[in-house]
Amino acid sequence: MYGNAYIDTTEKPAGILEGEDPQRLQEFEARVARGEKIEPKDWMPREYRKQLIRMIEQHGHSEIIGALPEGTWITRAPGFKRKLALMAKVQDEVGHAQLLYSAAETLGKTREAMINDLITGKSKYSNVFNYPAYTWADACIIAWLIDAGAIINQVANAKGSYGPYGRALDRICTEESFHLKYGHDNVVTLATGTPKQREMVQAALTRWWPPIMHFFGPSDKISSHTEILMRWKVKMATNDDMRQQFLNMYVPKIWDLGLNVPDVNLKKNEDGKWDYTEPDWEEFKRVINGGGPCNAERLAVRRMAEERGRWVRNALNTSDAKYVAPFA
Amino acid sequence: MIKSLDPRVIRAAIEDSNPIEPLKEMDQWETYEVFHQKKRGDQHMHVGIVHAPNTEMALLFGKEQFGRRGISVNIWVVKTRDVFTTDYEDSDIFETIPEKQYREAGGYKVMDKINKFKKGLGPKD
Amino acid sequence: MGQKIKRLHMNENTTDALKELLYKMADDLLIIGHRNSEWTGLGPILEEDIAFSSMAQDKIGQAQALYTLLHEFGEQEPDIVAFMRNASQFHNAQLLELPNGDYDFSLIRHFLYDHADQLRFEMLAHSSYEPLAKVARKVKGELKYHVFHANTWVVKLGAANDESHFKMQTVLNEAWNFALGMFEEGPFEDLLREEGIFEGEKILQEKWLKNITPILLKAGLCLPDEYTWKPINGGRKCEHSPYLTPLVEEMSEVFRYDPTAQW
Repeated sequence: MYGNAYIDTTEKPAGILEGEDPQRLQEFEARVARGEKIEPKDWMPREYRKQLIRMIEQHGHSEIIGALPEGTWITRAPGFKRKLALMAKVQDEVGHAQLLYSAAETLGKTREAMINDLITGKSKYSNVFNYPAYTWADACIIAWLIDAGAIINQVANAKGSYGPYGRALDRICTEESFHLKYGHDNVVTLATGTPKQREMVQAALTRWWPPIMHFFGPSDKISSHTEILMRWKVKMATNDDMRQQFLNMYVPKIWDLGLNVPDVNLKKNEDGKWDYTEPDWEEFKRVINGGGPCNAERLAVRRMAEERGRWVRNALNTSDAKYVAPFA
Repeated sequence: MIKSLDPRVIRAAIEDSNPIEPLKEMDQWETYEVFHQKKRGDQHMHVGIVHAPNTEMALLFGKEQFGRRGISVNIWVVKTRDVFTTDYEDSDIFETIPEKQYREAGGYKVMDKINKFKKGLGPKD
Repeated sequence: MGQKIKRLHMNENTTDALKELLYKMADDLLIIGHRNSEWTGLGPILEEDIAFSSMAQDKIGQAQALYTLLHEFGEQEPDIVAFMRNASQFHNAQLLELPNGDYDFSLIRHFLYDHADQLRFEMLAHSSYEPLAKVARKVKGELKYHVFHANTWVVKLGAANDESHFKMQTVLNEAWNFALGMFEEGPFEDLLREEGIFEGEKILQEKWLKNITPILLKAGLCLPDEYTWKPINGGRKCEHSPYLTPLVEEMSEVFRYDPTAQW
């Protein structure tokens, strides 16, 4: 599960294409325009490689960090069905990280380098996972609505131009559809359950609404850089479009359950678009830059896990092993 | 200690600051390409890679990462470095000119000849 | 299976004996499945994280199947049995409730337990109590993978480098007497054997020793000296270490939050 990558569009478009072979660039763009996929050993513009690595890597980090908020409840899931399903779901998130890191490796960054960038805070991951899962209901809201948002993002990205990323996302989307059903089933169970259950799921929804609205990121700056990334099919949809799509699909389902979305301005207007209170983007930036309630914990936990596993990995390392980047 | 809502994290008793040495090269071992067969009779298909320290573990890992939903009956693994590929740069070697009909089934139109021949025989008595 | 299958005569005694057998097996599976699930997302490398989680799921699924058999004997629903009992009502061996420790301990426990588990189910595949024999045959493939996994890890880590060898030997020594406690005999050994339900803990332990010894040898690991063997029993009689109560309380925290609710 995942939100949108924080694509850095600060660089000037002239700079990003500087020094590229014009003929190869033209061939590359023609291939993408024809709807053909780019494969790892193909020639590609530097900026294409850079942004894809950043995006896929962040996506991978989001999966492995995303295993933590729900993992909070893995030892406490109520009943066999929930216990088994939550284990399978968190396991899938780990599996997704594996698939995504593998896709990023094809572009030339090793998994070690990616993990190092995660645990030192150099790389970002989806901001929502810097919020805590206070109750079982929080884990249920995450499983439903964060995964719903992730599917919207991932279905769009699966149509992108880079072959290995698209292949990983196809597999991920299949598994996410189980997550979404699982999450919905959980939320419906709570919302149609006892007063205590209703109360806990409403409280969780209220807590998670602002991070959910942050999930797709702020409105895209319309820059020629963004335009290039969309032309290269790296960025597949605007953040606002994805947010609209999410609201359109899920707000009615939330209202169906008689739950209250904590935004008085939320409504569908005549042209079919949703009006909402502009999310607090200052808070979003603050959390991305480390100021969220769980940033420190998430990274500390990852460092702990890497450190505790190190002797195991070291022991099995053989001197004749040789790494070559995977090519598919 | 790191505070957490996760009892597992509390049990791990993580110091507030726990800087670690960066992971070294090869920390995650090398990679194996994984191929699976969906059912007997099918071709094996490439499904992805696993990082593993040896072939036994590559098989153990491949089975769970790619076969845990019961969609495989068999797995192959091979070290990535033992796979040789053609270059996408050379993908034009796969392009063939349309005149090479002689190796396509559609290049042989025997029914035309048979029909013409039958017509020539005239009506039977 | 080619063996002569004894017809099981159900009466109060055989029912009690079966319940005792099912409870200890189910509780073993639930508790180790729960413990192993704690590694999900925190394992030593992504691929192993996934594999270990699958096996934990298998264990809990197998526990559920056995609680379902108990339910057929009039015990409460699997969810109620698993999530509403106190630690003093659990029949698992103490080995399985111990905290996970480092990955070395989790692996050696997985190795010691899964060999026993596989053999127990193998023996039960011919049980005169057909519902259990059926479960035993169904889980055969899962257990084969678990043992394959455990053997591979123990052999590789036991023989890899000094550090890993030392760690594995240390946890084997620590776990050993707890592991022997898995074979604590119950009050129904004779009856279970006579009725063709289960051949008994003694035979299971013999088979187990025979299976694990060559693997440990291959790993370069030594069994503790036989004169030091002192099985840590009690689990089968619901006597536990201090670690089980917090485990059970944690596991059932949400379930107990509103016992009237469907979760």
